[in-house]
Amino acid sequence: MCVLCAQMFNEIHWSERQLNPEWITQGGGEATRRRNRRARIRLVSAVLAHYGLEIRDDWSATNYLLGDRKGSQQVLASLGELWPAAGRMVGRALDPLDEGLLNRLAEPTGGRQ
Amino acid sequence: MTMNGRRAVSVLSGFLGSGKTTLLRGHLQNHPGDDLVAIINEWGAVGLDHHLVRSVNEQSVLLQGGCVCCARREDLVRTLRELLDLEQGGGMPAMRQVVIETSGLADPAPVLFTIATDPVLKHHFAVASVVVTLDAVNAGDQIESQPEVCKQLVAADRVVITKPDLASGERVAELQAWVRQLNPTARIFVSCLGAAAEALDLPGEAEYARAAPATLEPKLAPHPDVQSATLGFSGPLDWPAFSVWLGMLLEAHGPKALRIKGLLDIGAGGPVALNTAQHTVHPPEHLPAWPQGSSEAYLVFITRGIDPARIANSLEAFQRAGGRNGFRVKRIDPSFGEMA
Repeated sequence: MCVLCAQMFNEIHWSERQLNPEWITQGGGEATRRRNRRARIRLVSAVLAHYGLEIRDDWSATNYLLGDRKGSQQVLASLGELWPAAGRMVGRALDPLDEGLLNRLAEPTGGRQ
Repeated sequence: MTMNGRRAVSVLSGFLGSGKTTLLRGHLQNHPGDDLVAIINEWGAVGLDHHLVRSVNEQSVLLQGGCVCCARREDLVRTLRELLDLEQGGGMPAMRQVVIETSGLADPAPVLFTIATDPVLKHHFAVASVVVTLDAVNAGDQIESQPEVCKQLVAADRVVITKPDLASGERVAELQAWVRQLNPTARIFVSCLGAAAEALDLPGEAEYARAAPATLEPKLAPHPDVQSATLGFSGPLDWPAFSVWLGMLLEAHGPKALRIKGLLDIGAGGPVALNTAQHTVHPPEHLPAWPQGSSEAYLVFITRGIDPARIANSLEAFQRAGGRNGFRVKRIDPSFGEMA
């Protein structure tokens, strides 16, 4: 549990194991955690744009808000929940081997609109 | 406790009659202390394996009711939780290692999945290695006719070729080369009557270094569906971009990405040791320094029906999109030049 906001950490995703889990739940390494999280969201946003989806961080940088252009939204607790949820929203698995996606990521804007 | 405060689990697998129990018996004799627990699965009506092992270690626990991996995962959960309760209640010494011997027909992947995802076990146990025995006499036929054998070999961190005294030296060498081709990450031992029981010892950091490539071309035909490739990188990886990419890849292609294992340079003091089995990601270990004798980052992919070149291109594109401009992924298998 976060000592500042009482937010429960149910799961430390494997991508965040760079930091000691005990340390994270006590608020340690916050600058590193937020920096890595921003980098992940920037890239995930570029990927999701290819499928008409978008992602935002919540105020405490613990949950993600996934949405589509029709107004559907879903709160996600970790990156592990993102790809299955995004797949359900678009009706198919999001494929990182998709040539169309890779070409979009290679554009000068990095896929961001 | 050896794995970041969690108890080390070694999974011992191998086809029927390939010498699993002989190897386990040798390991238990080498480590007579009471901090080692063996969990035996019994396939069939007669628990012969259990009696053999129990004769040297009183802490063996027999799982009843069939295949430990596929049909009875809940038994494995229950057994490990019971052991944990017993240990924490002072009823047994602290466990240093738990060896889980699977049935000969089992795929080790569900065992890894169970330990990595159970809400209690994942905090107390971690898989240290998957050890697979392969019978030198019958391996050729088993590889062709028994799909379980290939699944076990792909999941292996260590492969122990058994019964070398009953096969020719040339045959054993061919088998080593074939295993190396199928699973370039595995350490290969050759063991006569359980003599190489050190294959069940807990791995050290040297284990993370890239295994030596095969020195001869195997005469056995390559597996028709399974491809393996070793990738190297032009510079340090961006870890956030890599984690986004890997999570997406495993969600889309988990069942086909049979194994991903390697050491990654993410620009920190030490590398990240990564190991996945199908959709199960073992928590990556951020090592404080590079293991002795190893400074080369690499990533081995063993896939079914996915061209490794597509994986390399995708990883490269995600790294560049994540800010690593000019990042290149190259194939470093011994028989391949750099990819264009």
